[in-house]
Amino acid sequence: MSHTDRSSANSWLMLLLAGGFEIGYALSVGGSHGFTRLSWSLVAVVFFLLTLWALSVALRTIDVGIGYAVWAGIGAAGAALLGPFFFDESLTVTQAVWLGVIIAGVVWLKLADRPEPAPASAPETPDTRGLTSQARETQGAQR
Amino acid sequence: MQWLYLAIADIFEIVVAIAAGKAEGFKNRRWTAITLVSGALGTYFLSRALLTFDVGVGYAIWTSIAGVGITVLGVVLFGQRLNWRKTLGIAVIIAGVVGLQLSGAA
Repeated sequence: MSHTDRSSANSWLMLLLAGGFEIGYALSVGGSHGFTRLSWSLVAVVFFLLTLWALSVALRTIDVGIGYAVWAGIGAAGAALLGPFFFDESLTVTQAVWLGVIIAGVVWLKLADRPEPAPASAPETPDTRGLTSQARETQGAQR
Repeated sequence: MQWLYLAIADIFEIVVAIAAGKAEGFKNRRWTAITLVSGALGTYFLSRALLTFDVGVGYAIWTSIAGVGITVLGVVLFGQRLNWRKTLGIAVIIAGVVGLQLSGAA
């Protein structure tokens, strides 16, 4: 395995980790009961920061649009599937279908909203967690 | 009320997106501070919304509407083009949220 392969594999691992952290964030925010439960609230803050960190590392090498699409898809699907395991909730077929539509829409939109490969003078694209400019800079340096 | 909380949480999430972009990899202290404060406030209002919504449902609506807002702001404020792909994505998300609501699942 060459150095590039390994660093690419690490980036994807980091992206999956960022998705996992986002699931943890969603579940702990729900478990905090409007931030009235201290332990869940602290866990939510930790997951928020971990997500920000893992995503920024992953997007140094992975295409921003693809990265956000994968990350957002994992987060939303994971929260929907795991919510019923942690809380007194149920996932009905109707709910699952509409959630599937929303998640498909998010993944599609993130792929469609990727910054066009343009010169450095191109306008900044604000994006979820907005790490675009940093990622683009680093990508440019590595290619 | 849960829809209002979700809307407020979405506004903060969109601020997070813009501020984090300007924070230059969190080297710019002012924008980093705005990112973290908006993230905290957004998280608080999301947690209020999730008192009513199921976690998976509330989270999906919150993150998808933030995505729509970010795309729309990109067009309105940052001169991005609204092509058919983005329009389709926005339409699918809105259809999903409305469908979830009408089916009584949200």
